[in-house]
Amino acid sequence: AAAAKKAALKGVHGKSVRKVRTSTHFHLPKTLRLSRKPKYARKSVPHLPRMDQYRVVRNPLNSETAMKKIEEHNTLTFIVDVKANKHQIKDAVKRLYDVEALKVNTLIRPDGKKKAYVRLTADVDALDVANKV
Amino acid sequence: MNVLLAAVKAYELRNKNKAELLKTLDEQKQELASLRVQKVAGGSASKLHQIGLARKNIARTLTVINQTQREQLRLFYQKKKYIPLDLRVKKTRAMRRALTPFERSLKTQKEQKKLNHFPLRKYAVKA
Repeated sequence: AAAAKKAALKGVHGKSVRKVRTSTHFHLPKTLRLSRKPKYARKSVPHLPRMDQYRVVRNPLNSETAMKKIEEHNTLTFIVDVKANKHQIKDAVKRLYDVEALKVNTLIRPDGKKKAYVRLTADVDALDVANKV
Repeated sequence: MNVLLAAVKAYELRNKNKAELLKTLDEQKQELASLRVQKVAGGSASKLHQIGLARKNIARTLTVINQTQREQLRLFYQKKKYIPLDLRVKKTRAMRRALTPFERSLKTQKEQKKLNHFPLRKYAVKA
């Protein structure tokens, strides 16, 4: 009965409250963002690393200019995969030969292969490393 | 690196577990790398021939690794409702979206009635 009286008094339709807008600009409202909970993995098993150190560094160069670089500038020259970047080359050389690289310079040869000049740190001798390989 | 490369046998590889296989893979890649170095340093013809063998060995190891992995995964997912997309049947895109045999067999009530009331009759001629 009390509910009926209240309904008669206030009317059955609810009153809508207008939102107070303090600015003339409309910005994207913040909504709920759920994180993913996949029911199944899309790929059954993640791939083995595709650009591992063996793929990055192909072979060292032993041309005359390469030998000059070894003796004079303490750098090794490698033919490297075209898709490798300097970070990958540095990491690969470290894994393969246990040497730290000071810097890596790269260029793409006219025959389409990538050449990397890897300058080694001063405490390592490039000649020793080259002879070991 | 004076040892001549032997072709690894796949059935021998299958007895190994995953860690051993990955180690074998690493060793084989190292052999290939050293062969490539020798090629640059003017290797003999036999050494150059080894390069092909080394590559196929690596391929064999990877095949065994992936085959056993996928086989195990299929067993794991056998009872589950959703399986990863690369373990599902491939066929063709259209065939995957086609009606299932059950869906094709469904008949409307009208059709069912017709079949019931007017089945295919068999007649025999009296000799």
